Amino acid sequence: MSAAMRNPAAKPETADGPVVAVRDLRAWYRLRLFGVDREVKAVDGITFEVRKDEIYGLAGESSSGKSTLVKTIAGAMRPPLEIVGGEIQFSFMDGTMGLNRAPADLVERVRWRHLSYVMQGSMSVLNPVRRIGTSFFDFAFRHMGLDKAGFEAAVVAHLARVNLPASVLKAYPHELSGGMRQRVTIALATICRPQFIIADEPTTALDVVVQKDVLAMFRSIQREMASSVLFVTHDMGVHAHLTDRLGIMYAGRLVEEARTPDVFARPRHPYTRHLIHSLPRIGDDRPRSGLEGTPPSLANPPSGCRFHPRCAFATERCRVEVPPMEQVAPDHRVACFEKDRVEATP
Amino acid sequence: MRAYARYAFGRFLQFLLVVFIGINIAYIITHATPIDPVEHTVSVATAFGHTAPEAIESMRQSLRELYGLTGSPIEQYLNFWRRVLVADFGPSLSAFPSPVSTLIGRAIPWTVGLLGVATILTWIIGNLLGGLAGYYRRSRLLKGFGIVAMALHPMPYYIAAIILLIVFGYLWPILPISGGSQMNVARGWSSEYILSVARHSMLPLLSLLLVGLGGWFVGMRSLVSNVVTEDYVVYAELAGVSKRRILTAYVMRNAIAPQVTGLAISLGHVFSGALITERVFGYPGIGSLLVDGVHAGDYSLVLGVTTVSIVGVSLAVLVIDLIYPLIDPRVTVS
Amino acid sequence: MFVVLRDLLRYNGEFLAGILMTGVVVAMALLSFVSPYPPLDQFVAPMDVPPSAAHWFGTTSRGQDLFWLLTYSIRNTLAFGLLVAILSRILSLSIGLLAGYRGGWVDRVLMSINDTFIVIPLFPILVLFYFVMRDNMSWVMLAVLTALLGWSYDARLIRSVALSLRHREFTQTAVFSGMRTHEILSREHLPFVLPIVFSTSLNNMNWSIGLEVTLAVLGFTDINRPSVGGMIYWANQHSAVVAGVWWWIAFPVGLVVMLFIGLYLLAISMNEYIDPRSRLERGGGRKE
Repeated sequence: MSAAMRNPAAKPETADGPVVAVRDLRAWYRLRLFGVDREVKAVDGITFEVRKDEIYGLAGESSSGKSTLVKTIAGAMRPPLEIVGGEIQFSFMDGTMGLNRAPADLVERVRWRHLSYVMQGSMSVLNPVRRIGTSFFDFAFRHMGLDKAGFEAAVVAHLARVNLPASVLKAYPHELSGGMRQRVTIALATICRPQFIIADEPTTALDVVVQKDVLAMFRSIQREMASSVLFVTHDMGVHAHLTDRLGIMYAGRLVEEARTPDVFARPRHPYTRHLIHSLPRIGDDRPRSGLEGTPPSLANPPSGCRFHPRCAFATERCRVEVPPMEQVAPDHRVACFEKDRVEATP
Repeated sequence: MRAYARYAFGRFLQFLLVVFIGINIAYIITHATPIDPVEHTVSVATAFGHTAPEAIESMRQSLRELYGLTGSPIEQYLNFWRRVLVADFGPSLSAFPSPVSTLIGRAIPWTVGLLGVATILTWIIGNLLGGLAGYYRRSRLLKGFGIVAMALHPMPYYIAAIILLIVFGYLWPILPISGGSQMNVARGWSSEYILSVARHSMLPLLSLLLVGLGGWFVGMRSLVSNVVTEDYVVYAELAGVSKRRILTAYVMRNAIAPQVTGLAISLGHVFSGALITERVFGYPGIGSLLVDGVHAGDYSLVLGVTTVSIVGVSLAVLVIDLIYPLIDPRVTVS
Repeated sequence: MFVVLRDLLRYNGEFLAGILMTGVVVAMALLSFVSPYPPLDQFVAPMDVPPSAAHWFGTTSRGQDLFWLLTYSIRNTLAFGLLVAILSRILSLSIGLLAGYRGGWVDRVLMSINDTFIVIPLFPILVLFYFVMRDNMSWVMLAVLTALLGWSYDARLIRSVALSLRHREFTQTAVFSGMRTHEILSREHLPFVLPIVFSTSLNNMNWSIGLEVTLAVLGFTDINRPSVGGMIYWANQHSAVVAGVWWWIAFPVGLVVMLFIGLYLLAISMNEYIDPRSRLERGGGRKE
């Protein structure tokens, strides 16, 4: 049975089209507190796509808007966050607003079957008073089209894939270690074999050894299912090991995007350079230069290129004009007026 | 299982502590007062009509024994405990020679029935409506209910009861305002008797309900509006788990645990309220027994009711504590 | 302080309503100082007169002017509530702060005792006390006993706040600078718990006044001292409702209900001010 038959809204998948295409997306927080209006432009004109069978990484410091972007794509918006403009298009459903304005029954069918989400702070995403097995039932049973025995067998088989024993199904979340809970959430997000998985800082709370383990497992599951993943973390080291392509966000905008090895080898945006150069390297004990200034306030962002107050290459033009995203090489886009000067500087 | 046994043992110790401290308070109150209760009782009992001096003297003697005022202080204290443990409070003075335990035994089913039904109903309705009000924040009906509940909540039981008494007793007399059942209906498992008991319980029940609902409503509403922002609820919503299951198994189910603890905590207060309500509506439970005992100067009856109340309430709390791990599996760990 | 008050009055309808209702009751109590009648005198006014220009709230079957009698009664009732609140604050503050700050076995022992006092049904114990004391019982004794039995619920709340303060940096600084426990508690922690002490005392007053009214109505207090419950007691003794002297019950009940709701509204709006989460909710809620 194909996905299209099971889900009348699903479009037949084209061979190499993107799983999700985001065009000029703007999502703002609009607050009214004690009579004063405030707008926080957390996502401000972002365009990118996630292709079939790839892990697309999203990097940037905290409050760069990456979590907001992910929430918007996952349809997890709560007021005061709202979409102000732009499009989100999924390969598995019609409409240009993704999950955000689709009818409720369609959203309910698409979620978990086609799109799943590994949320930030995975330590607390499992219902503390429900056994793991019941949570699997709540999340996945109606999507799998199996009877109860078949479903349980499928869950046990899938747990084995993430190196978990079947006995965790009888456990409560508080009875599991942090690493086990993380595996459970990943198993929960992948059990229906969705085409698209969004993972928001899924390993941040884990210690380094467990983290490495979980990432390797994540990679192998993705390879096996040929799903597409949008993987968000501020940790450049994780991106280097895991992702295929990488987008760098700064103050609500995408500033650079390329294949991950290219980002590390030939960064073209000053901010990306800073991120890469601040990574520690074995045998290199020179002091790292910090970035001057503070991250901009999204309620009142700088004019022009938002990075210009902290940028060593900034010119008058950067203060006034917003640099567009431009293709500089195959699969390599940068939003910087001085990109050639940046590349020429060692 | 072993974790549960450890937890249960801890709760049992707490139960023993409650009984121990409660009974000691009763002992201190009755034994550390500057007034001689024996002389006082004698003067009350002999205030009306003439009593022979010999009778007064024998009464004084038996009262000394009754009050446990014979022997050394240590003997008095141990004696007090012995009588509590075997539930023997001697004969009632006002309903002589019926033993106090018989009177209490006759009254307890009424109190337990009224209090049990009222508490469970109040708790369920209050939490259900409060939970819905916290989840569906925009519902005008539930908002209106919240305002009414908030106005009723701070009312003491007595005031609520007397307002109902005036409304249904004088302004709109459709319900019986006094007694536990109709006088001329024989006791037994007849439908007529059960109906009569139910009709007579309506007003006491209603006053307990009106005062009690608000607290659970307001508490549950704020608990639910906190729980809906928890990660596990947001996550379940993102996974497309059905609304109804999220409301019941995720939101309500997690918010209810503190309310079960709240039930245990408030039981003493609710019990006091039920005693008062019984008195207002002449309901034949131990609340009426207590007040009658005070008016009749019946020491053993008053002490008996106090002791039974302490033990009874702590026992009910113990039961709630013991079933609590079913509601919140985390409790046996910490 | 002034800004807080202004914000509360402007943005919090519950606070405004609470202030108004409590204000009326307190004003009533203050009027007792200019009463034309001494509080204990009877048969100084015609009996059973319905509310009129001469006697605003009518008169009782014992020849008292209800309005002026009520001013004394509400004053005494408020005094009882205040005394209980102050006494029980001392207990709940010291026990709550100590348990929260020391933690460990001190916390466990104190909280076991605390939970015990929460569970024990107070009403029978107070009745037993009255039974033993009879006419020798004064309102101060009743207030002391009520305070001794009624500190536990708030102690638990204060403890939970103190528990969170314990791990804050300034506590560590104070410990390292050699301050003693009682100094840390009174100088460093007390200011943090004062707001919640304030809101819990309002609730505590509500509770103790309710208890006093109830005991008085049953005749289990000093019935000759005017109090709201005592008025209802005497009204019942004279079968006021049956006799049609409804005002004898209606005005005391109405006034005390106003006090209950007023204090409660003040307490919850305080709580809301203390807990920023619900404040934010209110701000966001404006948009809906």
